[in-house]
Amino acid sequence: CSNDFTDLAPISNRNEADFYNTENDFISAINASYAGLQKKGVYGRGYWTMFEMRSDNTDQGPDATGLARVYTEINAFTEDPLNEQITAAWTDSYSIIANCNVILERIDNVTMNTDVKQRIIGEALFLRSLMYYHLAIAYANIPLQLTPFSVGDELTQVDANTVLTQISGDLEMAEDNLAVSYSGGDKGRATKGAAATLMAKVLLTLNKKSEAEVVLRRIKSSYGYGLLNDYANLWGAANENNKESIFEVEFISGGIGQGSSFTNDFSPSAFLQTGQGFGRNRPTASLSNAYENGDLRFAPSMGTTYLNAAGATVEANYIRKYESDPPTENDSDINFVVFRYADVLLMLAEAIGESNEAYDLINEVRDRAGLAPIDASTSSTFEDKLLKERRVELAFENHRWPDLKRFGVAATKVNEAESFIPQSSVRSLFYIPQREMDLNTKFVQNTN
Amino acid sequence: YGVAEQNDVLSVNIKNEPLKEIFKTITNSSGYKFFYETSEIDLNKQVNLVTNKVHLSELLKELSASSDLNYKITSDQIVVTKKIVSKNVIETINLRSTAQIQNLLKGTIVDESGMPLPGATVQVKGTNIGVVTNFDGKFEVDLANNVEIIVSYVGYKTQNVNVEGKTTITINMVPDAAALDEIVVVGYGTLSKKRVTGAVSSISAQTIVNIPVISAENAIIGQVAGVQVQETSGEPGSSPNIRVRGSGSISAGNDPLFVVDGIPISKNLTTLGIQGDLARRGGNFQAPPVNPLATINPNDIASIEILKDASAAAIYGSRGGNGVVLITTKSGVASDKGVFSFDTFYSTQSVANKIDLMNAEELIDYTRDARNNAYLQDVQGASVNDPIGPGDRGNANYELPLSFINWDGTDTDWQDLIFKTGYSKSYNLSYASPLINKTSYHASAGYFKQEGIIPQSHFERYNLMLNLNSQLSEKLNLDLRVAPTITENQRQPGSAPYFATPPGIVYSALVHSPTVKPYNTDGTFNQTDNQSHLGGGTTSASNPLAIIDAVDDKLFQFQTRASLGLSYKILPELTFKTFGGTYVNVYNRDFYRANSLLFREATEGVSYAQASSSTEVNWLWENTLNWEKEFDVHYFNAIAGYTAQKDNIGIKQVQADNFPDDLVTTISGGQVFAGNSVREQWSLVSALFRLNYSYDDKYLFTGTFRSDKSSRFGKNNQTGYFPSFSLGWRINEEDFMKSIESISELKLRFSWGETGNFEIPNYGAIGLLSPNNYNFNGNEINGLIQSTIPNPELTWEKSQQTNIGVEVGLLSNRIFLLADYYNTITSDLLLNVGISGVSGFQTTLQNIGEVKNEGFEIALKSRNLVGDFTWETDINFSTNKNEVLSLNSKGEPIFSSGQAGIRHITRIGDPIGSYYGYVVDGIYQNQQDISNAPVDTQAPKPAPGDLKFKDINGDGKITPADRTVTGSYFPDYTWGITNRFGYKGIDFSFLVQGVQGNEILNLTSRHLKNGEANFNSYAVFNDRWRSEADPGNGKFPRADRLSGNHGNNARPSSFQVEDGSFVRLRNMTLGYTLPANEALGIEKLRIYITGTNLFTKTDYLGYNPEVSASPNSSLTPGEDYGAYPLTKSFTVGLNLNF
Repeated sequence: CSNDFTDLAPISNRNEADFYNTENDFISAINASYAGLQKKGVYGRGYWTMFEMRSDNTDQGPDATGLARVYTEINAFTEDPLNEQITAAWTDSYSIIANCNVILERIDNVTMNTDVKQRIIGEALFLRSLMYYHLAIAYANIPLQLTPFSVGDELTQVDANTVLTQISGDLEMAEDNLAVSYSGGDKGRATKGAAATLMAKVLLTLNKKSEAEVVLRRIKSSYGYGLLNDYANLWGAANENNKESIFEVEFISGGIGQGSSFTNDFSPSAFLQTGQGFGRNRPTASLSNAYENGDLRFAPSMGTTYLNAAGATVEANYIRKYESDPPTENDSDINFVVFRYADVLLMLAEAIGESNEAYDLINEVRDRAGLAPIDASTSSTFEDKLLKERRVELAFENHRWPDLKRFGVAATKVNEAESFIPQSSVRSLFYIPQREMDLNTKFVQNTN
Repeated sequence: YGVAEQNDVLSVNIKNEPLKEIFKTITNSSGYKFFYETSEIDLNKQVNLVTNKVHLSELLKELSASSDLNYKITSDQIVVTKKIVSKNVIETINLRSTAQIQNLLKGTIVDESGMPLPGATVQVKGTNIGVVTNFDGKFEVDLANNVEIIVSYVGYKTQNVNVEGKTTITINMVPDAAALDEIVVVGYGTLSKKRVTGAVSSISAQTIVNIPVISAENAIIGQVAGVQVQETSGEPGSSPNIRVRGSGSISAGNDPLFVVDGIPISKNLTTLGIQGDLARRGGNFQAPPVNPLATINPNDIASIEILKDASAAAIYGSRGGNGVVLITTKSGVASDKGVFSFDTFYSTQSVANKIDLMNAEELIDYTRDARNNAYLQDVQGASVNDPIGPGDRGNANYELPLSFINWDGTDTDWQDLIFKTGYSKSYNLSYASPLINKTSYHASAGYFKQEGIIPQSHFERYNLMLNLNSQLSEKLNLDLRVAPTITENQRQPGSAPYFATPPGIVYSALVHSPTVKPYNTDGTFNQTDNQSHLGGGTTSASNPLAIIDAVDDKLFQFQTRASLGLSYKILPELTFKTFGGTYVNVYNRDFYRANSLLFREATEGVSYAQASSSTEVNWLWENTLNWEKEFDVHYFNAIAGYTAQKDNIGIKQVQADNFPDDLVTTISGGQVFAGNSVREQWSLVSALFRLNYSYDDKYLFTGTFRSDKSSRFGKNNQTGYFPSFSLGWRINEEDFMKSIESISELKLRFSWGETGNFEIPNYGAIGLLSPNNYNFNGNEINGLIQSTIPNPELTWEKSQQTNIGVEVGLLSNRIFLLADYYNTITSDLLLNVGISGVSGFQTTLQNIGEVKNEGFEIALKSRNLVGDFTWETDINFSTNKNEVLSLNSKGEPIFSSGQAGIRHITRIGDPIGSYYGYVVDGIYQNQQDISNAPVDTQAPKPAPGDLKFKDINGDGKITPADRTVTGSYFPDYTWGITNRFGYKGIDFSFLVQGVQGNEILNLTSRHLKNGEANFNSYAVFNDRWRSEADPGNGKFPRADRLSGNHGNNARPSSFQVEDGSFVRLRNMTLGYTLPANEALGIEKLRIYITGTNLFTKTDYLGYNPEVSASPNSSLTPGEDYGAYPLTKSFTVGLNLNF
């Protein structure tokens, strides 16, 4: 009698012991991996601090004390392994990886619709690879965990190339499994194009340009993307999941914990009607100057002045791509665009290398920005021109830091834009979070 | 014989029967046995008695009137005694005739506190002349040429008094050493105090009622050694923090177990959101939960016992680890007269101490200083004389707001605006019935209301209670208790930072510039030209008056305790008891934040409403067998029992926003956007056993054993065993001590025991999945993710405690000393052990780690003066040292984020939740100082006047590795001294309380003491460093708006840790008891005035040196981030018995 009396199962929670049994269970499980992308350690905040603010594009802004200090440190390369933001990036990224690992291990034994099973495997591989790509760029020397972790398992670090090689293979399978597009309630799931775009990025990072080229040409020819006519139409809640968009992290407002905080984080103080603007991730003068005169991308991308509540004009650089009017603080509809087609065109140019075709690809992007075409005769090197184009086209979209690393110019560019950071301070890797160092005593800290 | 029983009344018709027949008749019909000394009473005396339908008591009165016998009903017996032969029994005294009596002595008998004692016996020595005192404790007796009288009264020492030559006398009775025979509630039974071998502290009803308080816990502040009661908030209905002998647990709660009339009520609300946390406030800034024990009316309490050591608490097994507080409510009286009591008080409250902030002129000077210092350091060629207006220096942080430059003389005291005089009033009426038909009861009704010092915050309580006891038959006793209560709180966001949603009222007032006008010219709240709109690098904050007006937060609580106990005497010494109890708690919360509030610099309001309700039903069934036997010198008291308890809780919540206006403030007025409903359960099955044995009342032994099986534990570890034993030696009973009369009690105690803490999450052992929803293209979809790792080994925390105690009574216990030393090791701590993030989790719940609490307690009670003028002193003193002995396998510290990032550490060798940061090592006076000091890697560009930090690890530079423990919320020692004076009917008492060596993490320093002058600030910053020649008082750095780019003075450091030691005049009471007035039927009438928290001496800058923003979090105690201030109060009250 007393066994029954004290054997109480949870009423309002599912118990993992009887989950992962049906198709619906796996759909719910993979959905939770997408939801992980919204977290503060990942796209919610961590990635823009580590891939945008770290670079020469932006700085933390005027708020340098208190809790803002963790961001200031990331901007200034003065963070230590205890930094809460780099810790959150690690744990939130691996949280998605771990969930995908469980799905990938358990789904084989479950009977369900084959198409759905294929799709879920593809989604899990894509999301896991997306996280590993960011971890490889940020920390490089990380454990490559591909199966569910059990308490007590020993972890070993592998280098970035090993991680990237693994995921380029995974992404091939993901591309096979996923659909070209989805309709209705599934619009927004990972597509062939998303997996291929990430694969191309990984291959470029591995310096496998010709392999990347094959993938990128496939995207261009087979998946139906195209540039929007007006750069300004890329932004705002009404324009989400458009023809140019390849993959987005979806946010919605409504007080259900799925709103984004980009508007509040990036808008300058006293700018919003209903809440606080923190003026973070502030565009540097160097970025502002990188826009050519007449570049139609400038105004939709960043502002230089705003009207405060008293109606006075205040000068400040701030990001405009994520502007919205959230009904409540930190609860905006604005999505984060992870990949879009303009990036594919510029990556293809990069993969092909200096050539007329490469300039044509770059000029396709410039043309939409209202700028004259460039060619081999335009001053400076192909790499510099391409990198500059990527900078202004993809500003504030978390591409800059990986780009600087891939082009091998991180130290010089950061120092150029933010002179208070000497080149010698610019480390190419983030520290492994101290808690991981403590928990895994064989880990070696990144020192460079 | 024609005796009929009708309800409570008897009819008797007896003529010329012997007395014994009457006794037999009454016994048969009523169940009462007669108890008498055969030698004194002639049972064969013929009597007549004819009555029709009278109560037993009246019948006995009649029987007495016609004989020389007295009858008294005591519990289930009628005691028959011979009347004392006297011509002067007071009821019959004719005062005019007394003048004729020679050698007359008039007098008054009073108790130790000067209260008259009616019914005391005064006998002239060597005669059979005797009288009984009347209602006023007065007597008159003819000494008949004798010189000595004998005064006696139950429970008091019998006195021989020489009255030679006196005609009037007042005699103070002294409680007997036999007061040690007082009964102590020990859990599942009672025990004579002299036989108790564990560490148990008792608080009497008198102590509780004498101090007008909201809840019982407040009554014991500063009164019990080893029990620290901290008033962490002054909010009406708030919960004091109770710690018995320190804190042993890191994450399973440290509140003791409360057992009210046998029903265990946990205050550890492990279920998050039981009162409906605000979804839009953010987890860190939730208001502390209201106190579930505030539903108990202090007037209903008969006694509070605190089981402090493991020996005493082990009977509660897996729940006794934090100590046990037993609350017993009042019962009917076993007398032949019922007593009405009416207690009332009215009290006014005001903020105990205002914080000393800068006035407008000081703030302007400070701000100018901060801007100039930043400007001069950053800008080449800058001059202090450069224009400082908006736009003049190219960066708002170098400039002054226009309203500072052209100050219009406004000097608002925001604290005065948000605080008012609050009041509370209490009415309580109770009736303790006499024993009628073997049934007695206590019934009470109470009403309490408190208006807080922040407008609109208030607390109301409505109580009813009925405790009924009936001897159903000679062997069967019934005990029924019902206590329904309603409490209503109107809460205000008093305790949150200025940037929380809704913003904290108090904090918003503190940071607000005095240069700002609170109201617009049309009388509306100034929300568009306030702190948020000063500009020039000042930080924004909402108008606190607008917050008060905009927030409506109602909490309704209905709580009922009900129990039924049936005891059956199988044998005279063997009783079986079955006890069923239930505890029902219904919470309803309605929160509304109006559109009218402009959040900081927002220009549009955002409305939000949340309705939450929770229903908790907890039931308990206990079966116990009790054997009590005394023969020769042996005394046995054994109890064995089997109990089951189950708790069901359901929580529902709905949220809405987008209210078109503020006319309808419930959910229906807006658009519902979210809701949820959660149910949880736990259950516990236990077997318990206890044996008390005493040999000749000299050698004492107690052994306890309990086993608990709980649903909360992992499958492989569901049952726990909790043994304890204790020994006592009453040395004073030994022959060699008998001759030392001055030592009336000398007892040594030793105990050892193991207890547990089962306050782990309901499903902590199970791998749970939680919703993690997403949306595609704007449509929400379900996602589920595993949120916890299963741990089938999960079990309770174990505490092993050793206690050594001594009790010394001197001079018939006029001086009584209790001293205890204890050592508690809590092991198998429930810890969220960090695991690699690669697992997808950050922590897993495991039983690991050890904490030690070691302490020493002394309680001294002394009756300094007896007689007309009485003076008693109670002193208590306790120390406790809390130390973490081990944590996870690698011994890594736990870093914890409270309300402002990681500022706490729990590490081996230090107390739980110690403060963590850099250590300030003075102030750089000049550039030379900076060059000589270790390089501060955390300060981009330090300058003279900035804080110098300590190189803890001695590596020649200041790095994050130099952070260390900077203090702890645990005091080194606490003490309290109560003095009570009595003279005639006047009583006067005061309680001084002290806490020494605790530190507070004053997070308000982040804004009010940050040197950046972006808000108003503590006035102490007027003594800041200005130059090497004018270094202020040496404690405060220079003003610098951009300290983060220079000295980084505001980093977490010892600068924000302040000494919280204090000495407080907790309570001062003056009362007067009017002489009893029989004509008006008044037995007792006492009026009193009381002052509470009249005076506190402390160096702490904030409102309350005991503040703790997250009282339920052991890992982050002692934070002050804008708390509801403590109040001081003045009370007028009245106690009336009739």
